[in-house]
Amino acid sequence: MNYSLTGILGAALGLAFLSQTAVAETANDLAQSPRSAMLAQTCAGCHGTQGYLQNSAFMPLAGMPTTQFVTAMKSFANGSRPSTVMGPLAKAFSEDEIKAMAAYFAQFPKNEAQ
Amino acid sequence: MDTMNRRNFLKLTTAATAAAASFSAGTAFAKDAAHVVVIGGGVGGATFAKYMKMYSPETKVTIVEKNKEYQRPYGSSEVVVGRLDMKDITISYDALKNKHGVNFVFDTVTGVDYDTREVKTAGGTTLKYDRLLVSPGVSFDYSQIPGMDSPEAQSKIVHGWDAGDQLLTLQKQLEAVPVDGTVVLIPPPNPYRCPPGPYERSGLIAQWFINRGDKNAKVIILDPKNGFTVDVTMLQAWNRLYEFNLPESFKGYTAEERATFKKYDKPGKIQWIPAAEGGRVVKIDADNKTVECEAGVFKADMINLIPPLKAGKIALDMGLADKSGWCPVDQKTFESTIHPNVHVIGDACIAGQMPKSGYAANSQAKVAALQIKALLAGQEPIEPAYQNTCYALAGRDDYGMFVADFFRLKNGVITRDEFARYLPFNASDAQYRLSAVYLHAWMNSFTQDIFS
Repeated sequence: MNYSLTGILGAALGLAFLSQTAVAETANDLAQSPRSAMLAQTCAGCHGTQGYLQNSAFMPLAGMPTTQFVTAMKSFANGSRPSTVMGPLAKAFSEDEIKAMAAYFAQFPKNEAQ
Repeated sequence: MDTMNRRNFLKLTTAATAAAASFSAGTAFAKDAAHVVVIGGGVGGATFAKYMKMYSPETKVTIVEKNKEYQRPYGSSEVVVGRLDMKDITISYDALKNKHGVNFVFDTVTGVDYDTREVKTAGGTTLKYDRLLVSPGVSFDYSQIPGMDSPEAQSKIVHGWDAGDQLLTLQKQLEAVPVDGTVVLIPPPNPYRCPPGPYERSGLIAQWFINRGDKNAKVIILDPKNGFTVDVTMLQAWNRLYEFNLPESFKGYTAEERATFKKYDKPGKIQWIPAAEGGRVVKIDADNKTVECEAGVFKADMINLIPPLKAGKIALDMGLADKSGWCPVDQKTFESTIHPNVHVIGDACIAGQMPKSGYAANSQAKVAALQIKALLAGQEPIEPAYQNTCYALAGRDDYGMFVADFFRLKNGVITRDEFARYLPFNASDAQYRLSAVYLHAWMNSFTQDIFS
């Protein structure tokens, strides 16, 4: 009867903890996957190796939060964000590909000197 | 290698095979320390070495390169017009050596044994490889241009298409052009390195004339083609900046777009005579600086001929090219379809719809690094992705443009995604200015991505 509140709470907390771990693992797997590296390498010719840059003209991508990356790419692709080069390029990628690149760049610390 | 013809090279290769066979040498490297040897330390080879070490630190990577420093061809037309010095385009290999752990052998390759997987150099070094990556750049073919098939003619009329002292020769020739003079620039037929390059150089020269206060000096482009990468952006810019009259035969614009072009009474600072209007060159007289094309004879004060191109000489000597003069590869891995375990990247390889550009070589190098990592581990290569962006100036330093493409492998051929690839026809002044800003920034970040 008294399957105590704490038990239920504990189970719920456990589940929450598990699912968070699962999310973290998935994000980590995505960041580490060769496919993500393959897609992200196409950015580095302008945006620097692993997204590290030593000039201010391009956006540094290392350590960029994934939501920021995904939002930027989508707004380049649909034209809501004015651009030069990125408009044409952003259209080429699927949603999954954009997420893979976002995960790749997010894994690196933002300010580490290259 | 320069003094050696292909027969000698292959003879040497055969001799090497015989010598190695008598030693019955097995694979010298343990499985946990695979060795990838890279021939050529240009954009392709250097990018590959850095990224191979980044993706697979346990792999040993050795670059064989004859020059101790690199001179970048990308953006080097700015040396011709004196905006950059040679030191501005000269890059050290130190970071690749000291920061990334890439080995260097500064020497000339004299032979390769595909059976024992050995590369031999003039200095007597023998390198055993598990995979060989060749990034040899281009060589130049004068045989199809009457009047140019002699060392004398080739010393008077230079291309300046592979960095080096020829850039300074062109700079001196340009400075010697008299007031109201004429430069004839002859772009190569497709395919060739740096598709927008000959046209950017034409614009840079026209702008250089304006900057010296020369009202009537001009550049005449005699072209074996009827269009070029970024043509729609470039020709519009020239019409605005250099009193350029659009050739009647050009098909790249709609009627509405064409109607926005100004018409000038006389030929402007840049004239472009495409193949359809007789631009194809049939003969050059290097002594008298005259060029005969199908449309007539042009007297020049300076001629800049960029002849037809082929794969770099070492790739030809190594038997990696087919009848086209370029190297056929499996476009998923860049492994040669002629010699297994050998990969060819950059300008020299046949890469579907990818252009022969620095950015393309850089992107191919990273694809090759990921695929070779998989192959060395006995795994299947993964789905590749490739990109190219070429920036160019119209001539003036603040008027830029670009082509940007993403490519995928479709039925074994590198195929570009069909999206808009240029600035729109009605782009804003800010977009041209920003493209020029990005061009200059790219020179730095691109160089860092390869060499830092």
